[in-house]
Amino acid sequence: MVCKEWPEINLEEYEGVWVAAFADDEGKEIEEASLQLIGAARELADKLNTHVGVALIGSGVRKLAEEPIYYGADRVYVVDDERLSTYYPTVWGRVLYELASKYKPEVFLIPATLRGRELAPYVANSFRTGITADLTSMDVNERGDVVLIRPPFGGFMLAHIVTRNRRPVMGSVRPNIFPTPERDESRRGEIHEERVEIPPPKGIRLLSREPILKKEEIPIEKADVIVAGGKGIGSKEGFELLKRLADLLGGVIAGSRKAVDAGWIDHDKQVGQTGKAVKPNLYIAVAISGAAQHVFGIREAKRVVAINIDPDAPIFEHADYGIVGDYREVVPALIELLEEMKGKKGGGD
Amino acid sequence: MLKMVVGIKWVPNTTSVNIDPKTGTLIREGIPSVVNPHDLEAVEMALRLKDEYGGKVTVITMSPPSAIAGLEHVLGMGADEAILVSDRAFAGADTLATSYVLAKVIERLDYDLIIFGQETIDSSTAHVGAQVASWLDLPYVYYVTHAELRDRKLVVRRSLENAHETYELELPALISVAMHTLHPRRVKVSNKLRVKLENPIKTWSNQVLGLDPECIGLRGSPTALSKIEMVPKVPRKNEVFRGDAREAAKWLLEKLMEEGLLKLG
Ligand SMILES: Cc1cc2nc3c(=O)[nH]c(=O)nc-3n(C[C@H](O)[C@H](O)[C@H](O)COP(=O)(O)OP(=O)(O)OC[C@H]3O[C@@H](n4cnc5c(N)ncnc54)[C@H](O)[C@@H]3O)c2cc1C
Ligand SMILES: Nc1ncnc2c1ncn2[C@@H]1O[C@H](COP(=O)(O)O)[C@@H](O)[C@H]1O
Repeated sequence: MVCKEWPEINLEEYEGVWVAAFADDEGKEIEEASLQLIGAARELADKLNTHVGVALIGSGVRKLAEEPIYYGADRVYVVDDERLSTYYPTVWGRVLYELASKYKPEVFLIPATLRGRELAPYVANSFRTGITADLTSMDVNERGDVVLIRPPFGGFMLAHIVTRNRRPVMGSVRPNIFPTPERDESRRGEIHEERVEIPPPKGIRLLSREPILKKEEIPIEKADVIVAGGKGIGSKEGFELLKRLADLLGGVIAGSRKAVDAGWIDHDKQVGQTGKAVKPNLYIAVAISGAAQHVFGIREAKRVVAINIDPDAPIFEHADYGIVGDYREVVPALIELLEEMKGKKGGGD
Repeated sequence: MLKMVVGIKWVPNTTSVNIDPKTGTLIREGIPSVVNPHDLEAVEMALRLKDEYGGKVTVITMSPPSAIAGLEHVLGMGADEAILVSDRAFAGADTLATSYVLAKVIERLDYDLIIFGQETIDSSTAHVGAQVASWLDLPYVYYVTHAELRDRKLVVRRSLENAHETYELELPALISVAMHTLHPRRVKVSNKLRVKLENPIKTWSNQVLGLDPECIGLRGSPTALSKIEMVPKVPRKNEVFRGDAREAAKWLLEKLMEEGLLKLG
């Protein structure tokens, strides 16, 4: 017996690992979060011995249909329609549902950008299937079931989640959890131009959409160098010191949740499980203790530096280079040395 | 007059939450619980709309009876009535089964607007709102920072990664409130007194709702926990320097230089 609110399905019919891909506002390129998911899907599909499918929907996206293939997809299903020029969760959710209903993928992954997080549960619900939010890895168990893995609550444990009796197995993935695959223009695949029913938006109308003017500032998820401060910074002025260091290194500042809660830095610069995952070449954690939820966000950082007054701070276990000391002495020393080095290089910039 | 329903969750308030590896459910014993802080922001938004346009705020939660303390808190803030949706049959629900029950509860209420928090601190899925919208076939918008009425329509603002957006919603509709945007008001003594006198908390079990046991709780949940493990550590060099600050700074910059990680302007 199963819930009568769930349509009957035949599990055997579901095959392939699908990813929903979205283009940026100008329709110039596919969002990086989608490309990263294609890479992750490729790995899972290889374990399952199946294909990677990409649902590419939007207005004017046909011209981007080769891109998912270059990043690892085998089949691309495009719905390019003027009526999708405006994003509405119920409309886009319906289109993704219709498309996936037709081809029945075993797994369907949606990037957990803010839009994706809004959309993914709606799509899952249309299938009356479950969905795992913010997964960080995927696997196949002894029985051949797909296992989606996510850190619940604490962030120090991983929950393995299986989907019983329903398909697709659905999951959402935050940006920068998986690396962006190499682009390979020699890859070949199929492109299917699809027509599905596109319902008009019901009860909702977009009145305005203004791009956030990205002041010349680089968002932390795109930065090469990040200097992040924690509770131990103690004040807003302390963050100004970090900013000077970040400027010298060509980077940006970020913070732990406690620093955000204290109001020293904005929430969009929070690193960690409930903030953002980042992937800089260099991450400098200053006066951050290294809670599991925080280090969750720096898994893709190439090198991690920790500056902390407490030699037993857990952050040292997650760092390549650690300095035990008071940041109020270490950071000014770094600034001074860097300025000297810059000076020698030819009179500064 | 705006009839609003707000969904709140009673969650363990600690960073050291654990899962029972046998049952795969949260170990709640000994951990103090609170109303999910982001849901207090949802209550706050509802109360502001009520202050502005008049109306009624009904708070619902699906939870074991201990959540009564949380319902009392939001009634103390000024909500009008509360429903505790509680039954052993609802236990172990994933977000599909949770949203199903909440949708069935809301269906029985007279409502214009449903307001949810952005996400819960214990599972942070941000799923339940969109799923309820799907069950009830309602328009919805997440991450709302501001809402107002214009000609019986709700105009809401939100900010995504790269854009500010304004939407107009016909009622009934569902929204979720972006976290860290509103300061929830304090509990008022006069409201607490009212709660004592009027007892505005109702409890709905599945006897009231009469839902098919196959669609709720553990049985109505397609997702299941198969295993819990520790997070594998990303391998790092773990070299540590102790000593004079200037020496330390030198040591670090040399390391970074060697690895080509220093780009000086
Ligand atoms: C569900 C959930 C999600 C969470 N999500 C996140 C998240 O996304 N991001 C996040 O960061 N946290 C998150 N947290 C919170 C996390 O558990 C920690 O509480 C938080 O990361 C700690 O921040 P902190 O390291 O800045 O502060 P603390 O833990 O208080 O550490 C401060 C550190 O500063 C050091 N210090 C003090 N003075 C100095 C000085 N003068 N010089 C050098 N060092 C000094 C101290 O030794 C200490 O190690 C989450 C928690 C939960 C429960
Ligand atoms: N058991 C519940 N009872 C009532 N509302 C809930 C419940 N669980 C989640 N919600 C609402 O749904 C939002 C999103 O929750 P989640 O999907 O768990 O992150 C929360 O902020 C609440 O407003």
